[in-house]
Amino acid sequence: MQPSNFPTIYSITESEIDLNDLLAKITLPSTGAAAIFTGMVRGVTSRDDPHETVYLEYESYVPMAEAKMKQVADEIREKWSSVEGIAIVQRIGKLYPKTPTVLIACTAAHRDTGVFEAARYGIDRLKEIVPVWKKEVGPNGEEWIEGDYFPKAGE
Amino acid sequence: MNKIKVLFFATIRDKAGTKSVELNIPNEMTVQALKEKLANEYPNLKDSLKAVLVSVNQEYSFDDAVIPFNAEIALFPPVSGG
Repeated sequence: MQPSNFPTIYSITESEIDLNDLLAKITLPSTGAAAIFTGMVRGVTSRDDPHETVYLEYESYVPMAEAKMKQVADEIREKWSSVEGIAIVQRIGKLYPKTPTVLIACTAAHRDTGVFEAARYGIDRLKEIVPVWKKEVGPNGEEWIEGDYFPKAGE
Repeated sequence: MNKIKVLFFATIRDKAGTKSVELNIPNEMTVQALKEKLANEYPNLKDSLKAVLVSVNQEYSFDDAVIPFNAEIALFPPVSGG
């Protein structure tokens, strides 16, 4: 199969993230491995600044976010030509602890093709350049979480 | 004159008190000049604009860039998705 036919899924959604559905869409006859990262709302944080979270409220600049997700997928394909399918999904809205909020999945023929690193790169880049923000609501008030990455020209 | 739309997100929206605004700006205005204009019109934004990200037509942009006609601009803090 030509790389141009490899499935790439990228979306901002308010719906539940359906792992099985996404995995089916990026599994080809030649696929034998998938690396999946998913992040969820952490209710109890013990590292750095210990605190509890009641919920997170996500928002996005949707058209730009989806364009930047496609860019992340393109960057993955440039770095790992072995990657077959890519799914990048960010859920937004009010999300409670234990709820998956983001999913990056990459498929390949075999597991030793860089597919783990590709998925890792995907979540790291999403957190740098995809315009999504979250407000954390805890027992004692709310606070916007801000990142610390400043994109450079062309990113 | 150049009619543009400016969108605000997250903390920037909270401080501006609005999600978006339409503005008439001079031709050849730069991103830096727009930030200065917004700091004057929305004094609450002034401190936030020092470390704001700016997009022009959904691509990251920088202080020296000239704003194109009918652009869609967005101002927002460093992203925190995931």
